Amino acid sequence: MKIKALFLKPYSKYIWIALMLLAWELTAKLALVNPLAFPSLELIFTALIDSIINGDILLQMLFSLGLIVIGLGIGVVLAFLMSFLSVVSPVFASFTDTCVSIFHPLPGIALLPLIILWIGTGSMAILFIIVHSVLWPMILNMTAGFKAIPEVYKKIGQNYEFNTFQSILRIFIPASLSYLLAGLKIGWARGWRAAISAEMIFGASGGIGGIGWYIFNKRVFMDTAGVYAGLLIIIAVGIFVEDFVFGKIEKNTINKWGVA
Amino acid sequence: MKKFVIILSMMALLLTTGCAKTETAGGEKTIRIAEQYGIAYAPVQIMKAQGLLEKNCPGIDISWEQMSNTAAIREAMVADRLDAGFMAIPPFLIGWDNGMDWKIATGLSSVPTGLVTKTSISGLAELGEKDRIALPQPGSVQHILLAMACDRDFGNPQKLDNNLLTLSHPDGMNALLSGSDVTAHFTSTPYLEKELSTEGFHQILSGNEAFGDEFSFIVGVTTKKLHDQNPQVYAAFNQSVAEAITFINDHPQEAAIILSEAYELPEAEVLAYLSAADTKYSTTVKGLQTFSDFMLKTGYLKKSYESPEAVVWEHTDYED
Repeated sequence: MKIKALFLKPYSKYIWIALMLLAWELTAKLALVNPLAFPSLELIFTALIDSIINGDILLQMLFSLGLIVIGLGIGVVLAFLMSFLSVVSPVFASFTDTCVSIFHPLPGIALLPLIILWIGTGSMAILFIIVHSVLWPMILNMTAGFKAIPEVYKKIGQNYEFNTFQSILRIFIPASLSYLLAGLKIGWARGWRAAISAEMIFGASGGIGGIGWYIFNKRVFMDTAGVYAGLLIIIAVGIFVEDFVFGKIEKNTINKWGVA
Repeated sequence: MKKFVIILSMMALLLTTGCAKTETAGGEKTIRIAEQYGIAYAPVQIMKAQGLLEKNCPGIDISWEQMSNTAAIREAMVADRLDAGFMAIPPFLIGWDNGMDWKIATGLSSVPTGLVTKTSISGLAELGEKDRIALPQPGSVQHILLAMACDRDFGNPQKLDNNLLTLSHPDGMNALLSGSDVTAHFTSTPYLEKELSTEGFHQILSGNEAFGDEFSFIVGVTTKKLHDQNPQVYAAFNQSVAEAITFINDHPQEAAIILSEAYELPEAEVLAYLSAADTKYSTTVKGLQTFSDFMLKTGYLKKSYESPEAVVWEHTDYED
């Protein structure tokens, strides 16, 4: 039996997922669990297919994804600026440190009452919460990455007489890319959490709403299978992005360069 | 292969332990009640403060569970963490429709409820795409009342569904009064009165107008488990609610004293709410059929009950 070898392959994730689904189904079928709390896979997939055909779940998914991508974009730019300035200027570094220690522990949802008063309740408010939850962990990762760049790399840049912009592009970013990617992955996951929890509260904001609103609606109408269907969609997108987007980037950069 | 079986069975075990139940042995005199605050729940507070359950069922072990909203109460009942709770009729029907084993045990209250907007908006028709309507949650009585009004006025119960914003009553009030993009709030006593006494806001729809009649705003619900396995406790529960309601109706001043302490509100204010014309406490369940018919017609429910006995316990007063 070469079972062990199976789990060392890149697709081992999918074997685990299949096993978990099997365990789920067995529990739902054999154990005396309430289907309202623990629906079987058929019920969940029926709910999922029904939402895809008759509902807006795919559009809602795209809506949430769009917000997260925009939020991530803003977060990356801000985090990059603040981290780079911190590396260049020790004064700015102490400012960034202070900001991180103040804001990083604050959950976006705890700021909700304030956000409603300041920005209102539309997509802008959701975006604000996403940027807030993406920015601080990303800064931590980026500054760590920039600090870890060996001095000799920076000296090479000086040798080539790079200006600041050139040294960012050709020294700082490539040399700390594994940190940047790790930061991006954390930001992506945080962005999801923020978007879903904000949508659950802010509702449809005038359109059809996002996947968080979908899940919340299923919850209040007691459609437990629908709640799980929403979660499945989020997991599927998460795995897709992890394997195909981040996986591709890593393969073509840090793995190829041998820095990871 | 052996390892696999072990791993698999461990995962199954892991999954099931999450659903392990805290057993309440049948026959023991225990009850777990959801505790909620607000004028609409006043009899619950009176019942607790005066120890009515303890009096009607000596030796009873009561645990009052703090619950933030109806969805949480339903989920707690599914998980067998709760025996009795108080909620509006629509969320009860949604739970029943989805297979929850519970029925209405008693009526509780009718309180003023309505849609408050900025005075620049004079009717439902003027609520446009940019307006946000705050209410506790979709599927709540406020949402269904709004859908009823939209159905009657525009023939489209879902007309304003994409303008909804899920906010608790206090958050909704803050959002409305702060002048943000929340231009309407479907709320109830005492938030309704507070908003209406603020300049620049008025009511464009009352609960009774939307419903077309009077209806029970809050009813008491118990699980089948409590009703069947613990008839003594169930009877004491109903008796205590009824006594609390009678007490409020007969001695509003004394009730106001008790409630003002519990709610940290001035006594005169509580008394004003209790004795308002639209505030009624009664064990009679009203409006069940109308809610059920409307929700079935508009797809919020998948099925209807054939006789009221399917949704109310025996000896419970109801009228339609």
